[in-house]
Amino acid sequence: MLEIKNLHVSIGGKEILKGLNLSITAGQVHAIMGPNGSGKSTLSYVLAGRAGYDITQGSITYNGEDLGALPPEARAAKGVFLAMQYPVEIPGVTTMMFLKSALNAQRRARGESELDAIGVLKTVRRKAAALNVSEEMLKRALNVGFSGGEKKRLEILQMSLFEPKLAILDETDSGLDIDALKLVAEGVNALRDPARAMLVITHYQRLLDYIVPDRIHVLAGGRIVAEGGKELALELEAKGYDQIVKDAA
Amino acid sequence: MKTALAPARREQAASHFRAIGIPTRRVEEWKYSDLAKALGDTAFSQDTARWKLGKLPAGVEMFDLAEANAPDWVRTHLGSLKETALSAASLAYADGGVALRVTGAVETPLEIEFSGKGNLRALVVLEKNSALTLVEKANGDDQRNVGVEILLGANARLHHVRIARANAAVHIEEVAMTLARDAIYNAHYASFGATLSRLELDIALEGQGAQAHLSGVSVLSGEAHADITTRISHAVGNTQSTQLFKKVAGGKSRAVYQGKVTVAQGADGSDSRQTAKALLLGDRAEADLKPELEIFADDVKCAHGAAVGDLDADSLFYLRARGIPESDARDLLIHAFLEDAMAGIVRSDLRDQVRAAVNEALAS
Repeated sequence: MLEIKNLHVSIGGKEILKGLNLSITAGQVHAIMGPNGSGKSTLSYVLAGRAGYDITQGSITYNGEDLGALPPEARAAKGVFLAMQYPVEIPGVTTMMFLKSALNAQRRARGESELDAIGVLKTVRRKAAALNVSEEMLKRALNVGFSGGEKKRLEILQMSLFEPKLAILDETDSGLDIDALKLVAEGVNALRDPARAMLVITHYQRLLDYIVPDRIHVLAGGRIVAEGGKELALELEAKGYDQIVKDAA
Repeated sequence: MKTALAPARREQAASHFRAIGIPTRRVEEWKYSDLAKALGDTAFSQDTARWKLGKLPAGVEMFDLAEANAPDWVRTHLGSLKETALSAASLAYADGGVALRVTGAVETPLEIEFSGKGNLRALVVLEKNSALTLVEKANGDDQRNVGVEILLGANARLHHVRIARANAAVHIEEVAMTLARDAIYNAHYASFGATLSRLELDIALEGQGAQAHLSGVSVLSGEAHADITTRISHAVGNTQSTQLFKKVAGGKSRAVYQGKVTVAQGADGSDSRQTAKALLLGDRAEADLKPELEIFADDVKCAHGAAVGDLDADSLFYLRARGIPESDARDLLIHAFLEDAMAGIVRSDLRDQVRAAVNEALAS
């Protein structure tokens, strides 16, 4: 589903990703682990299409298509979803109205019929209940005054609503206590699907206790320096990034 | 104004205006609005501009200032409040206008419309414990100078919504207002600009517990100009004022906000907040935001802030990453930017009217 080859990405002329290779097939959950500054967030942003992240070499192929050539909204409509580390607060736009606009924009782009307000409301309510997202949250301005846990739950609610083919979770565990983490992880696990690939980006092994990946890649200095099964997370936890990076060199 | 204004008072206003004349940009308060240039170096026409009222609800008394036999309340109050050179001009040269007196708590909104060229006067008196919702429309491509006086008696409530829309016009409106004890003025001004448009307010909170809550939105494009200048004086303690202005300027337009809040000596317990923000959507658009505070009292809560910027890149990316196309995402953020300033409009029907005018301006 996703094939990243020799990817070099620069921000403002400074190279952050330096020849990254990664391949994920449908139904799999991959984790990217790495120390701060290794390029984890750059990878998530470049996959979602953020402006200012220049692909200077290499390619990102998504279902046979050059993903790098598409604007962010087209990627979303084709099933790429990024659960953000820092969801933005937008005063003046209610959460419910935002969800409806986004869902229908994606449907329009795919040539599907738009859902009416009642239809969206019903779907959102059903999915929101499972993630403990309250009716009151949906009425509030998007992410405004939400706690860290509420923001992350809303990200997962969006993932559940948009039903992406490729879901990227950028540091979804950051800022969550253990109960909030479990709730978010349950939400993510419920979305595991043979037709869906997931890329879980995290600094800590903790999240991977709850979302167990098929494969782990260690990112350091803008490259994948080590790969392995889920046991690699435990090794990282025991040895630390420095040792793993040294071992790989 | 045959009987409403004593000839000596009228002559006094004329000499006040003649002494100062049309303000130039050398006058600090007119630095961002070049009235002399917009008028082509002539004063406003000697004509009297027009006014039109909607159906008069019960509890509101009206007097046409062009008529004879002005009642006492008109003769007492007309020309009684603080004047600027331009409001002196409308007092001296307008031959008509409208005076309203409210004696009860009026539910139905009253609509008032100003049009045509020249000078015009309006007087609004709310007696104690009375209430009115006034919906003002300022239209037409003319050069017009309107002078308004508003007197709010003890515990009176005025809800004022003004929608100003023009193209090749010079529209000046100078409002002077006093609020007695516990009176509340709640206003929203939506302005869509003109060649030069300026709303100037001088609000005196003169009774304990008086409150003025002002908000406004401005959506400007092309070469439009819209200036809101406010002066609020907390003359006594335990008075409140809030101001929230949001402006969106595209093309080569110019949005101006100047707000001066003065808290007098001894006016302890005064509470004042003012915020003005502008979103610049064109490389050549300009916003001049100038909040000012002058405090002579000790125990007060005052805050002010101003910010000029572009749409937030993080927000724009977030919306696009959720599938919302760039132009829709921009629209959504612009609406969201303006929304909190409109949220202060008390009546939902009027809030919808302002929203509709904003949507129309954004779509054009």
